[in-house]
Amino acid sequence: MTETLSDLTLPISGMTCASCVSHVEGALKELPGVSNVVVNLAVNKANLSYDPQRVKLDDMLAAVKDIGYAVLTAELTLDVRGMTLRQTPPSGTSQGDACASCVDHVEGALNELDGVIASVVDLGLGTAKVTYIPGLATVSAMKRAVREVGYEAQERPAPFILSPTKVRGRSEGTDALDRERQAREEEIKRQGRNLVIAGAIGLIVMTGTFYDMLGTFKAFVPVWLSYKWVIGLLTTPIVLGPGRQFFSNSWRGLKHGVTDMNLLYATGIGAAYGIAVINTLFPKAGFGGEGATFFESAALLTGFIILGRWLEALTRGRTSEAIRKLMKLQPKVARVMRNDREEEIPTDEVELDDVVLVRPGESIAVDGEVFEGYSAVDESMLTGESLPVEKKAGDAVIGGTINKTGAFKFKATRVGKETALAQIIKLVEDAQASKAPIQKLADWVAGHFILGVHLLAVVVFLFWFFFGYQMFFDPNSSFIMSPYKLGEIGVFGFSLLLSVTVLVISCPCAVGLATPSAMMAGTGKGAEFGVLFKGAEAIENTSKLQTIVFDKTGTLTKGEPSVTDVIAGCEWKMEGSRLSSSDLQTGNVLRLAAIAEKNSEHPLGDAIVRGAEARGLQIVGPDSFNSIPGHGVEAKVEGAEILLGNRKLMKERGVDFSSMMSNAEALEANGKTVMFVAIDAKPAGLIAVADTLKEYSVEAIKHLHKLGLEVAMITGDNQRTAEAIARQVGIDRVLAEVLPQDKAEEVKKLQAQGKKVAMVGDGVNDAPALAQAEVGMAIGSGTDVAKETGDIILIKDDIRDVVVAMEVAKATMRKVKQNLFWAFVYNTLGIPLGAGLFYPFASLILSPELAGLMMAVSSISVTLNTLLLKGFKPSVGREHKPRQDSGNPQLHHATASAGDD
Amino acid sequence: MEHEQVEKEVAQRSVLIYLPISIGSGLIFLLVTTFTGNYPLVARIGGMVWVGLLSLIVSMPIVISRVKKQLHGKS
Repeated sequence: MTETLSDLTLPISGMTCASCVSHVEGALKELPGVSNVVVNLAVNKANLSYDPQRVKLDDMLAAVKDIGYAVLTAELTLDVRGMTLRQTPPSGTSQGDACASCVDHVEGALNELDGVIASVVDLGLGTAKVTYIPGLATVSAMKRAVREVGYEAQERPAPFILSPTKVRGRSEGTDALDRERQAREEEIKRQGRNLVIAGAIGLIVMTGTFYDMLGTFKAFVPVWLSYKWVIGLLTTPIVLGPGRQFFSNSWRGLKHGVTDMNLLYATGIGAAYGIAVINTLFPKAGFGGEGATFFESAALLTGFIILGRWLEALTRGRTSEAIRKLMKLQPKVARVMRNDREEEIPTDEVELDDVVLVRPGESIAVDGEVFEGYSAVDESMLTGESLPVEKKAGDAVIGGTINKTGAFKFKATRVGKETALAQIIKLVEDAQASKAPIQKLADWVAGHFILGVHLLAVVVFLFWFFFGYQMFFDPNSSFIMSPYKLGEIGVFGFSLLLSVTVLVISCPCAVGLATPSAMMAGTGKGAEFGVLFKGAEAIENTSKLQTIVFDKTGTLTKGEPSVTDVIAGCEWKMEGSRLSSSDLQTGNVLRLAAIAEKNSEHPLGDAIVRGAEARGLQIVGPDSFNSIPGHGVEAKVEGAEILLGNRKLMKERGVDFSSMMSNAEALEANGKTVMFVAIDAKPAGLIAVADTLKEYSVEAIKHLHKLGLEVAMITGDNQRTAEAIARQVGIDRVLAEVLPQDKAEEVKKLQAQGKKVAMVGDGVNDAPALAQAEVGMAIGSGTDVAKETGDIILIKDDIRDVVVAMEVAKATMRKVKQNLFWAFVYNTLGIPLGAGLFYPFASLILSPELAGLMMAVSSISVTLNTLLLKGFKPSVGREHKPRQDSGNPQLHHATASAGDD
Repeated sequence: MEHEQVEKEVAQRSVLIYLPISIGSGLIFLLVTTFTGNYPLVARIGGMVWVGLLSLIVSMPIVISRVKKQLHGKS
């Protein structure tokens, strides 16, 4: 039996750490027919492939729920028109058929949609209640499905998220982004509420615990607040209220064989609270008596852990701002022509070939082609192009861009998930959900860490119980940053304290967050500059590159010949002309040559005409024209005989160019093609034509050198021409005379020398070489990003974006390494400190609540460090961007030959 | 439904392994503290509970995932 795998992205809630990632991955992988499961903590998503024949969506939801997490689902009510209540239909009427089967029809149509979990039709109310996964199923798809089976459906206001918490939704235009944000906001609110409760009561508990040290402030605090049973009563609601989540979550996981951070917290808080209760109720039990109640430990530990969760929820959302910005570009409504009337409809209901109307200042809803009207459109948000791009009939428009001045109508060519914006968002989301090799290791470590920590807690307990206490315990010793003496604490209480502190301080939250948070910020930052990384691996590989190979034609050069030099013969002066400056003479040489070539169809002739036009020269038609195949042209212009062509033609016609031959040779040595111009059989000048370098090629290569990279160029040109170009651009290594099909082989040869190689080229023609390289960069792909090969897609045709990609990747990996370094340093130093390694020398131990604070600070510091990426600016100038529509070519002095690669 | 059945069987088989391990660890602790040193009864009982609890936490996920693998391998 053959498997047909479908890809699926599930929004997961309740994950807080790297071990949660491995648990969710494990639970989903265990299901039959599920494979390629990748869970990302930073975006709270699980990407997977599944066989719909073997596993149902419900099974996946149940598997995730079983281990204590949830898949975000939403509920929506549709008003369905066309259903009837008649139970016994008049025979032979189609209406009657409908009443008996409409429920099945509508439910069947809805249930067949991807992402719909369940649908229930209420015939009496004329409604269908749909439970679905936001982002997978859309409201418009549901309406369409209902319409296709013969009914009309209309969305009812206020859909809401069912799990894990109910969140009120907006009546329309509520999409996956809104729901994700709502869920996050709800989590922030929930933890904020918990924090207020734990913080406020915890402060009172602290005041009561340290009553004796309040000095003059004692007058403001009632003495009963220092009674142990009062402190115990105050701590109980903290542990059972805000702290309950840790106990319930860890138990749910534990009974399915998974351990996570919640378990560390639960055992830590539970042990501190339990021992305090025993010492209060039975002070003679030998656990340290009233001097070691540690209620404040349980209270503050809960408070600090919740503070960490709250701050993490606050900051984690900010690392995904870039994708949020992209998503916000999508307008909610579109104005379309339906039945000869203008109608405003939700954007996701626009269909192919719909006529869409756009007024000044409005956002363009979907991709399409203009057929009426004229305007300028700001595309900067998607392409980085700073100037508005003119749009007229026949031009393509991109959904999400903003119309500036005029009004126009266009026909929708790509809608829904096919639009450029949707493709870009999908690409960035997929990249953010993917895992870099470095992250896989971190996740593995963090995933196995919890068990290791519990084992360590046993070892620490046994050591201090059997040896440490007798050897090192000092009743005058105290907690770090606390005047609280350990006093009469017994062997069990002391050993338990250190064991609990190890549990609390060892939380690998920071290790789990270090890589995905930075990758998320990095991919988002790249997208901001039109650089789309296809995965976290692409970022990691890019940061390690040593050699960048550029395809020449179309990448370093424009890929079409242009006039680069015009030299007028020094003896020549146009008869009857008063112009004498050399500039004007060269202008005349070019003008006359362009007139002679006006009717030519040869690419070089075309280049001369374009060159003359670009210089503002007026080109009229020639009086007569004759093409000399393989040699050039001859024409009569303004009474003069113009001969334009190669050296051989001049020799055959007896025109002596010996005085200009040194100039011609110098131009040819630079890889240019030289055209000889003779007027009335006298040498008039030389016109050099070559493929010109792109505007920013030299600047980009210079920056790449600064980054310490070797830059190579691959071309089908001959060695001399290729080297001439390489000199102009500053290329280190030339791979010339390489046939297109052999490019991948050349990349392989470089790799065989131990180099990490990137290939930059056209995403379609250079696909094999892009695939062979460690990193393939497809440049100038425009917005049809889905079709592109390569690990990085550079939307704009700006070679400087290669530098941007390198810098973003390096900055991101720098952040990853910093984060991992600090996370591991925290755990490496924290665990020995918590285990009491320094107690024999310093007589100080770490209290569980201080361990909790340190743990929270480590997670927050990692996230805040990542947020510094928001200020990243590439080193290459972004202020003068070239126009995308090259309707007005400019001439540049840097040149390259027209190659054939 | 089959999935639920397997899960139930996993839970039943696992408990027969990890519970004796954790109770055994606690009892060993009690025995050792009873015959070595002069520990108060409360410390011995408390230690037994703590060692037993941590052993339960450590053994539960290991045993459950092993049993799961065994059962999934068979099915």
